[in-house]
Amino acid sequence: MLTGMEEYTSGDDGNFNTDETSVLVKECIEGVIGGTDYNHNKVNQWTANIVEHSLTHLVKQGRPFKYIVNCTIMQKSGAGLHTASSCYWDTTTDGSCTVRWENRTMYCVVSVFAVAM
Amino acid sequence: MSEQPKEKPPKAEKKVKLPAEGPRAKEKAGRIKDPASTHVDEHVTHEDPTASLIPNTYQLSPNKPFPITTISHILKEEITHRLRDVRYDPVRSREMTLTLCEVIRTRMKEFMISRYKTVILVHIGQLNGQGLQISSRCLWDPNFDTFVSHSFKNTSLFCSATVYGIYFE
Repeated sequence: MLTGMEEYTSGDDGNFNTDETSVLVKECIEGVIGGTDYNHNKVNQWTANIVEHSLTHLVKQGRPFKYIVNCTIMQKSGAGLHTASSCYWDTTTDGSCTVRWENRTMYCVVSVFAVAM
Repeated sequence: MSEQPKEKPPKAEKKVKLPAEGPRAKEKAGRIKDPASTHVDEHVTHEDPTASLIPNTYQLSPNKPFPITTISHILKEEITHRLRDVRYDPVRSREMTLTLCEVIRTRMKEFMISRYKTVILVHIGQLNGQGLQISSRCLWDPNFDTFVSHSFKNTSLFCSATVYGIYFE
């Protein structure tokens, strides 16, 4: 009898949902640094909070994924910043999502990588 | 596979309990005659057609751990080699981040690290006296999954590269 294989990936839950994650992450960013100006003393706390909140909400979705959340906050000073990523994975099940956010004094870039289990 | 002898096999093999279609009845007949055969009946597994292509290895952990020190050397080598005397330039830096990502990924493929998925993240920025914070957090299995990071700085730019290795069960 070869019916032992259960299909965990079915429909939506099997693949990474970029749009939903993007909305979720944007909400997390707004919640942490929404109305604030760049503060060198607090930036460490901010990145940690953004990353932790994003991860908690992603886990609550209950999908069979391992997550990597990366957050970069940079003060606006006219300097340039380039970010790139390259991934070696299964393109049908794994995915990534990058959210760019800015206000008057700083840029915030959050990348979420989801790897299926 | 003809549909004509559909009614004949069920009459011949009364031992077969499951009501099978023509071709499947023939396969089951084959199995009963030769029970020692390990041939996978591709016709029977209509629920999961890919099961026969990728057999289960029942492996719980990686054979070889993720080579952290080697990858650290690779990152150091590639970044220093490419960015040592380079001045920050918007266009060139943009290309450089993508190039670095591709190069690191190619070099990692050479290791043939089995069952590991990799994510490579590269940041290149201009040094202008501004403050910058990069942090990341991961939800994974700390026994097998890991990361390697390297940062570099010269007079006009900085570069930070991170390679995450995630074990695929």
